[in-house]
Amino acid sequence: MNQIKILFFASIRDKVGTKSAEMNIPNGMTVSQLKEKLGEQYPQLKDALKSTLVSVNREYAFDDAFIPADAELALFPPVSGG
Amino acid sequence: MTLMNFPTVYSVTEAEINLDKLLEEITLTSSGAAAIFTGVVRGVTKRGEERRTAYLEYEAYVPMAEAKMKQVADEIRERWNSVEGIAIVQRIGKLYPKTPTILIACTAAHRDTGVFEAARYGIDRLKEIVPIWKKEVGENGETWIEGEYIPASGD
Repeated sequence: MNQIKILFFASIRDKVGTKSAEMNIPNGMTVSQLKEKLGEQYPQLKDALKSTLVSVNREYAFDDAFIPADAELALFPPVSGG
Repeated sequence: MTLMNFPTVYSVTEAEINLDKLLEEITLTSSGAAAIFTGVVRGVTKRGEERRTAYLEYEAYVPMAEAKMKQVADEIRERWNSVEGIAIVQRIGKLYPKTPTILIACTAAHRDTGVFEAARYGIDRLKEIVPIWKKEVGENGETWIEGEYIPASGD
């Protein structure tokens, strides 16, 4: 098993209701598999997940990417700084 | 050409943006031009349906935001080798109309070296890949403002 930390920002954090979570995931899990798992754990996220961005260790990560050990992930909507 | 140590400053901060100090940090003795973009909180929006904004509340994923600001600066340098200094600073927290929220400045020897385009690229790119968000609070309650850009491999 792989213990990861997930940070939530902006509208995603509001939906989840917490800033971060720790989670045990199987080794070799991909970003899209994790999204599916999060959709089950937080049903209120399901609609937003399609447009949710994911970072792994502070770099953008895409559906097929494997999640490395002890990773820091973040889930957030498209950015709107400036 | 000698390899110069060109200054690059970038940060996410809750403090007021200090233009004079930043300009001093990115100006070399060889600099003769600085192109500066700063975004401010708009109190009244007339584009589309007119609306009033009480304030904006900014938040950031700070370590990733600062890493991505560095990436934006690196991309500017790849495209405009005339650019000498670069400053990218985003202010976060609760910010009221007329307050500067972002500053992007590039210096160069002369104004006709692409320095305006470099600063423009910087703000456009920041709005695509730097993880910062704002919530607008106004007469119709609170709304998260979300961008449209979906990052791809290499972003």
